[in-house]
Amino acid sequence: MDLAFTAEEQQFRDEIRSWVRTNLPADLAHKVHNALHLTRDDMQRWAKILGSKGWLGYAWPTKFGGPGWNAVQKHLFEEECALAGAPRIVPFGPVMVAPVIMAFGNAEQHQRFLPGIASGEVWWSQGYSEPGSGSDLASVKTRAERRGDKYIVNGQKTWTTLGQYGEWIFCLVRTSNEGKPQTGISFLLIDMKSPGVSVRPIIMLDGGHEVNEVFFDDVEVPVDNLIGEENKGWTYAKHLLSHERTNIADVNRAKRELDRLKRIAKAEGVYEDIRFRDEIAKLEVDVVALEMMVLRVLSAEKSGKNSLDVAGLLKIRGSEMQQRYSELMMLAAGPYSLPFIREAMEAGWQGDHVGAAHCAPLAPTYFNMRKTTIYGGSNEVQRNIVAQTVLG
Amino acid sequence: MDFDFNDDQEQLRDAVRKWVDKGYSFEHRRELVKAGGFSREAYEGLAGLGLTALYIADAHGGMGMGPVESMIAMEELGRGIVLEPLGQTLIASGVLSGYADGALQTTWLPRMASGEALVVLAYQERAARYRLDICAAHASKNGANWTLSGHKSVVAAGDQADAFLVPATVDGKIALFLVERAASGVSARGYVTQDGSRAAEVVFSDASAVLVSMDGLAALEHAVDIGIAALCAEAVGAMEKTIALTAEYLNTRKQFGVTIGSFQALRHRIADMKMKLELARSMSYYASLKLNAPSEERRRAMARAKYQLGVSARFVGQEAVQLHGGIGVTEEYIVSHYFKRLTQMEMQFGDTLHHLGEVSSRMPEKAGVFA
Repeated sequence: MDLAFTAEEQQFRDEIRSWVRTNLPADLAHKVHNALHLTRDDMQRWAKILGSKGWLGYAWPTKFGGPGWNAVQKHLFEEECALAGAPRIVPFGPVMVAPVIMAFGNAEQHQRFLPGIASGEVWWSQGYSEPGSGSDLASVKTRAERRGDKYIVNGQKTWTTLGQYGEWIFCLVRTSNEGKPQTGISFLLIDMKSPGVSVRPIIMLDGGHEVNEVFFDDVEVPVDNLIGEENKGWTYAKHLLSHERTNIADVNRAKRELDRLKRIAKAEGVYEDIRFRDEIAKLEVDVVALEMMVLRVLSAEKSGKNSLDVAGLLKIRGSEMQQRYSELMMLAAGPYSLPFIREAMEAGWQGDHVGAAHCAPLAPTYFNMRKTTIYGGSNEVQRNIVAQTVLG
Repeated sequence: MDFDFNDDQEQLRDAVRKWVDKGYSFEHRRELVKAGGFSREAYEGLAGLGLTALYIADAHGGMGMGPVESMIAMEELGRGIVLEPLGQTLIASGVLSGYADGALQTTWLPRMASGEALVVLAYQERAARYRLDICAAHASKNGANWTLSGHKSVVAAGDQADAFLVPATVDGKIALFLVERAASGVSARGYVTQDGSRAAEVVFSDASAVLVSMDGLAALEHAVDIGIAALCAEAVGAMEKTIALTAEYLNTRKQFGVTIGSFQALRHRIADMKMKLELARSMSYYASLKLNAPSEERRRAMARAKYQLGVSARFVGQEAVQLHGGIGVTEEYIVSHYFKRLTQMEMQFGDTLHHLGEVSSRMPEKAGVFA
């Protein structure tokens, strides 16, 4: 047992750190460190910088052009990116659909889709949730009917994050009503420029346009875009959901945001208030405990000795903490969290801030973060999963 | 970065677990509580396993092992809520090895390693609460000999131990002494504590003492930190067993024609218990792996770990009782005994609010395990 990273791991970290510090544009880091609005171009710019280094698909095996890093190396990469203030990698392409294409797609699909994902050229969206299926994903209703060498897709997806930028979307669609709900689902890749696809914004409670509804109206999709076998999509989706087990805790971001919370609390004069400071102290213990839990999982993955079934715990804990630090930042600014001046969340705004520039995004971020305990399998569903591991 | 246990460590765990399962049944423990809450025979059993020698160097008849092996042993003893205070032996081993001179080490460590001598920390005072820098006991030197006076409270196995490690001021500065229980001027009034284990009020009246270290505060802080790491591990074992008992109960007990473990209201609560256990386990690893860090870093780590222990132990204990229903509040059934042990842990070596204050006042600019 040893807490320290090995010399090789430390060297790996140093290399990543120096590369990230050299290649991350300062204006992007500034936006991330201050929770300012990130545009499509901002996200795309960082994706392409990573893509040109071969690190956008940082979890990919070498066989598909990835760096072939182990669990610890991936974690160190994520940590260095997060602490430096890099925009989060938009996961839908490189993290979510790519592993499914690799595992279950054919050679032609590998050739056709993976290069555009690896380079950051093509923006992917996720088509899982529907108005009638939130945490109960197997109840999807969007239909795909086979006609010759095409599927005709009709239905609606929702909560499609950043779908307004999407060029391709991977969807769970119903291809059969026989048997259990899980058995009639297929995994289909759809070009969002196809006739019949329309995207409508959902404005969130913070005023932001982050998610969308995507409608499919007699959309023709070539059968070549089916991944794997028809009616096996549920298995592939589960593969996707089981991917990236530790990343879900987002502990690296929590570390960065806790540092920010301390800076804001100091600037707002509440860091010396013992009652407020104790709340930060609790969060500090939470961050250490969560990081230790993540490290335990990584160690187990590295050695392959004792697998740790704590993905549900990581999701619950990580999301609760994101909410808590957002809440404390908002409370630190107090009444100066209240003015809602949208332009003040844009970098380089020259207007008069109320209070301080750091106050503007605090309440909207707090409101926005309520999503974290709802998405990705709500925390109540996660508790069911955890209970299953204890009670059977 | 590696959290696997090696083969020797796994064997140690197996050996302690077997001993607890075979020799320390709930019924046997109940008899020991009735008999006063400390059994020399059971303590010798720990010695027979080599546990009293764990944290003592080979040169003094010990096994020369470290915090990780101590953690493993404590987890397993926690699983059986063993009454005999091995944590105290770890403390005394660490403090004498780290702060006492060669002669004192040679006198005590081999006897401690064999289990013949039990040395415990006697540091708590009425006015100090959990602070370590407040000390009314005092010592003075007459020629070559020290004498010590003061009153130390809730000393583990205080009327059974062979000697005490006692902080006392010398010219206003805290020093650490060793005092034998048999020395003149020492009186120990023993009693059982809420969890069934044994403790005592120990009064020193010009008792003959041996100096361990003039840097008594550093030694005392180290002592308490060893105690915290041991307690964190013990709590993990106790919580693990508590959750196992609760899970078994939920899967057996029927109401409304079904096992109560099928009710989502209860399933979510046991999921939350599992969360608190895994957070505490993570922090127990953290504590043991930081035990040899420089003192400032070590103190901060132990405060964080003890805070988590307090939060987790209280939650798991209270929830276990609630999920058991009526049987959970009886003396007869096992789970209340785990609850009481977990409750008592919160008030040993500083409670949760105390350590929150420590975390708060020691907060660095950067967050995380490696900050």
